[in-house]
Amino acid sequence: CSLLLNYERQKSLCTALVSESESTEFKEVSVSCKIIAEAPLSSSLSFLLQAEIFQEFDVQEDSVTFRINLSVLLDCLTIFGTSALPGTPTALRMCYRGYSYPLMLFLEEGGVVTVCKINTQEPDELLDFDFCSTNVVNKVILQSEGLREAFAELDMTSEVLQITMSPDKPYFRLSTFGNAGSAHLDYPRDSDLMEAFHCNQTQTNRYKISLLKPSTKALALSCKVSIRTDAQGFLSLQYMIRNEDGQICFVEYYCCPDEDITDAAL
Amino acid sequence: VAAKGQMTFEVLFGRAIHAIARISDEFSFDPIEKGLALRSVNSSRSAYAYVFFSSMFFQHYCWTAMSQPCQKEKQLSLPCKLIIKSVLPVFRCVNVLERNVEKCSIYTNINDHRVTFQLLCKYGVVKTYKLTCQECDPLQAVFAKHMCPNILKVHSRLLADIMIHFPTSQEEVTLSVTPMKVCFKSYTEEDTDFSKTMLTEIQLNPDEFDYFQVGVDSEVTFCLKELRGLLAFSEATSVPVSIHFDVSGKPIAFSIEDMVLEASFILATLSDVEKETASQQPPDFSQKPPWDGIAPNTEPNTTTTFNCNAGNICRWQVYFTRRHCKDFKVAKASEIINLQILHHVVSYFYKCCIFQFHSLFFGAVSCKEDAISHTFHSLATASDTEEDFGNVQTQHPKYWCITALTELVQSTLL
Repeated sequence: CSLLLNYERQKSLCTALVSESESTEFKEVSVSCKIIAEAPLSSSLSFLLQAEIFQEFDVQEDSVTFRINLSVLLDCLTIFGTSALPGTPTALRMCYRGYSYPLMLFLEEGGVVTVCKINTQEPDELLDFDFCSTNVVNKVILQSEGLREAFAELDMTSEVLQITMSPDKPYFRLSTFGNAGSAHLDYPRDSDLMEAFHCNQTQTNRYKISLLKPSTKALALSCKVSIRTDAQGFLSLQYMIRNEDGQICFVEYYCCPDEDITDAAL
Repeated sequence: VAAKGQMTFEVLFGRAIHAIARISDEFSFDPIEKGLALRSVNSSRSAYAYVFFSSMFFQHYCWTAMSQPCQKEKQLSLPCKLIIKSVLPVFRCVNVLERNVEKCSIYTNINDHRVTFQLLCKYGVVKTYKLTCQECDPLQAVFAKHMCPNILKVHSRLLADIMIHFPTSQEEVTLSVTPMKVCFKSYTEEDTDFSKTMLTEIQLNPDEFDYFQVGVDSEVTFCLKELRGLLAFSEATSVPVSIHFDVSGKPIAFSIEDMVLEASFILATLSDVEKETASQQPPDFSQKPPWDGIAPNTEPNTTTTFNCNAGNICRWQVYFTRRHCKDFKVAKASEIINLQILHHVVSYFYKCCIFQFHSLFFGAVSCKEDAISHTFHSLATASDTEEDFGNVQTQHPKYWCITALTELVQSTLL
């Protein structure tokens, strides 16, 4: 299968993906290309590129999955440098012959062509968070603008980020518990930033802050973020990123809770 | 609580915290009946900061709000100690605060050892910070301001404009006063290598001050870094700054006061400040000037050029055209020169005195010509070539001309 991508604008998205994971899965399905990176076994970040983003999208089989090293991939993608010069788009063609073949990347910028061959590996068993829409208990969609500052200012001396979602006050609250004391950020349901608010049950869950920090890069690029939790307290963050052409990509982030706190006491 | 045009509480409070942060890592938070007092002292006990927001400053001030069971007791609340690092994030970006924050509330709960800051922000977002605090004894600096023989009062803007000339790395500054003039200058140790240092000196006339009282000539050296916080704070309040001081070794107080707030920064000063040496003495002409000056021609309406090499520091090429040759009237610079740079250069040369001006004519290239036109300074010197070195004019005109130039530049800048 081969994919041709006008890559210039996507460069920023790809570099944003780098987290602490060591390998990334490429899952190319007939309608989309999903790049999944897994952090320390309790969170998963995936990057969904719709077929429309690609100039050519030719996948023979229903689904193709392989594993490659993320930092090697990133080095290849940024071989022409990390900043996109305006007016000099980089074209990327990705080709994969099949099982046991390397992933071929052809990058062209300003007449210079680079060919990269990255060895592929057996795909790991993907963490299945079993997070499907039907299990969702609470869901909000916020404009990213309102969250960016909050995440940038998170008290990193706190080990956890606590997320409270409730049909009653405080509606949606982010809390940290650091050396200086506690900090709480409340977003009311009728705020201008709140695009959608569907909370059925009061839930308070804590997540390791070190796991959530990497997703702030996606937050910085996104225009909207959907935050969902299921009955077990698993967290799903979906960032909607709109590029200059108006094309939309999604970055999905799943994280399991640190402890179960089901009471509503705050 | 903010009247139109005034800074809002959270901005002022934020700036107060930032100011105090220059002094120490922690401060005492002391709500009393009349208002809220913040105090801090640095580790070497050489700087003390005090900021007081009167209860009138707040939209709602209630110091018994925490319905303590000990309400009836004399001492209703001990001052408590907060760590600056924990409070700073609340007021992190003071400029953003103004745009985003609509209201700021502070609650104290001594039993819980917490001080709560709550900010109501744009879009209905509420930020609540519950910070732990410790009990502490109240600090107080004993300083009788009214006993100081020297008192200056100056608008905070002017003081900030003065201090901005000192590089941020400048730790200490000397304030030197006589009944005739006021001078702020960089403080240097005895063993400073002048060829590698830039020294700044700013002279002011008494009439630039809102209030000027000099009972005793003095020269005090204090830490500029610690003061900068107060400067930023006072600029936000636009209240004039009063400076109370005595002779070297005795503390100097910078304070602001208006109806709803007051702040004082009391700083220790160096004792046994070394007396001025070079600046009062005539420059040393036994050395060769470090510059390859071009002998200026004396034709009218020509360009005079000279290059100055000030050691390894800088090389200036200054171009001037002369309007009159005889009486050295003020002329226009043919090239726009950054006045601030020129001032720095001149101050430096003034200190080092290792060069001489040849024909130097200076004027402000601005619409301020009228103001300057009457200040005809005889700035030129006689010596055209190196041979004339020995024939230095009496009165050391070079020295004088530098002073005059400094004043000229200074008055133009300010």
